[in-house]
Amino acid sequence: MRKIKKQKIYLLALLLPFILFVIGFEIGPLVAMIKNSLYADDGITFSIDQYLTIFKSKFYLQAVKNSFIIAIFSAVVSVIVAVIVAYSFTKFSQKIQNRLLMIANMTSNFEGIPLSFSYIILLGNNGLFTLLFGKIGWDLFADFNLYSWTGLILVYVYFQIPLAVMLIYPSYQGVKKQWKEASSLLGGSKFSFWLRIGIPVLLPSIVGTFSILFANAMGAYATAYALVGSNYNLLSLQIASLVASDVTLKPQLGSALGVLLASTMIGAMWFNERMMRRIRRDLR
Amino acid sequence: MSYVTIDQVTKGYDNQVVLNNISLTLKKGEFATLLGQSGCGKSTLLRSIAGLEDVDVGSILIDGIDITNLSPRQREVGMVFQSYALFPNMNVYDNIAYGLKMKKVKDINARVKKMIEMVDLIGKEASYPHQLSGGQQQRVALARALVMEPKVLLLDEPLSALDAKIRKNLQKELKRIQKELDITTIFVTHDQEEAMTMSDRIFVMNKGIVVQSGSPSEIYTTPVNTFVAKFIGNYNVCSIEVFHKLVRNSELKGKEVAIRPEVLQLVSTDEDTSDLQDNWRIEGFIKDVSMTGNVLRYEVETVESAFHVDYLHHRGKMFEQGAHVQIIVPKNECIIL
Repeated sequence: MRKIKKQKIYLLALLLPFILFVIGFEIGPLVAMIKNSLYADDGITFSIDQYLTIFKSKFYLQAVKNSFIIAIFSAVVSVIVAVIVAYSFTKFSQKIQNRLLMIANMTSNFEGIPLSFSYIILLGNNGLFTLLFGKIGWDLFADFNLYSWTGLILVYVYFQIPLAVMLIYPSYQGVKKQWKEASSLLGGSKFSFWLRIGIPVLLPSIVGTFSILFANAMGAYATAYALVGSNYNLLSLQIASLVASDVTLKPQLGSALGVLLASTMIGAMWFNERMMRRIRRDLR
Repeated sequence: MSYVTIDQVTKGYDNQVVLNNISLTLKKGEFATLLGQSGCGKSTLLRSIAGLEDVDVGSILIDGIDITNLSPRQREVGMVFQSYALFPNMNVYDNIAYGLKMKKVKDINARVKKMIEMVDLIGKEASYPHQLSGGQQQRVALARALVMEPKVLLLDEPLSALDAKIRKNLQKELKRIQKELDITTIFVTHDQEEAMTMSDRIFVMNKGIVVQSGSPSEIYTTPVNTFVAKFIGNYNVCSIEVFHKLVRNSELKGKEVAIRPEVLQLVSTDEDTSDLQDNWRIEGFIKDVSMTGNVLRYEVETVESAFHVDYLHHRGKMFEQGAHVQIIVPKNECIIL
């Protein structure tokens, strides 16, 4: 009995750095942000003015809406693509699968300013491909503007897909070959197998991946900043300009927007989980 | 009239022959077992019948229809896997109903209920596979296959993952259900005892061929070669030269002699055995005694080779380790291979 207790203390001691880290760098800032958001601009008076400002301002609500839409859109596209791509990965030999995963791993880390810059070089107004296709006389990019919503979506999807593939790929190992065999012996087609067994089994990881992608896109800052600067109204860009700009420094308002951003993410994840539990009743 | 016909089926993977020109037939309602060690081709043969593996040469017929090139879903066979392969996202009821839904039959509810009753799972309809024990999961898998009323039921080591007591129970139950539905069944196992208890007919397989087929008692009492003798009954097998030397007699002809351990008797060396006719005597000493519950197994070392002698575990006389004994070998129990 005593021995077990002692062991537990050692284990807890080993966990201490992690706990301190989480308190100091995750919970601490969160509490500070919530606290900050409840002060007026002077930083002394306690008020909910900041939230009222946001909900009365079309501009900030638009930022929330834009961020939300771009996050949902890029996450949905990426998840659909990743489910198909990860499945096709599993059909290759182990050696090729490893190579493909390495590529996915590398590209999933390619984001932020370098990624935006690459896109600017290739597809910007004076980008390599834009000029090249122009010379050929093939006006592929006549209606395409990299510094717009379409451009943002393209770049977001670019860094979301490899991440989604990395996250969904392992769960295909959980879809057992014998389920397919049993299904086919019972008269099921490939389609009915995936509809009734395959996809439902993959669902938790699809939903989890979707939540991560959604949060990833909601919070993406550097990529968007480098690409559209302040030309496009996104929540992460507004928060940055409120807490770090030299023109409109309003950290309290920024905090309130931050709280809003966090609640949107948590709300989306919660909704996701709920939907999944409705379909996968066995996981209750 | 044969119901299932396997006609000269051959299959190989990467230059290795797994099934070598196998032919066998089954009658309707028969419980047949493919018995052999792992890698002998028994599971491959079963999977070929199910359509989960293609065969290279030969044909498979069920009820007069050539199914060799049909897809698994067209074959009307049911299969139970060792790992159960239940769909984890469906409860017991939905797992059993899956095939009926795929076939869009009418009285799904009645048929599923009847099956649940048959495999004794009433009250578990809404449970998910992870909430059931191994034995219960296997019942669901069985019900899922049987509810389709397949022409042939294929069982791929369905009981191997269960512990001894549950296995014994399910063996009985499986046999009962099979008789009740009079369904032609092919059972794959590596456990010779299980094969003996369950089957009407056993096909002993080794290295891709059927070495011997027959009723359990035929297989047990008249093995055709050393492999079957050793695999089926723990026979004592020794070469004819050695045997001649041991019994000081060269009456028997052939290559090897096989004797079941339970037909041998032990007597102490000082006992007078001259009145025992039709027996041979081999002298030796007890090297080891082991017990498997109801059976005492003596390992008797003789000048040339060791013999196993099995006794039912009585309270009476037991030989101690190191004791000098005579093995009494009934002449008519010696099988020449």
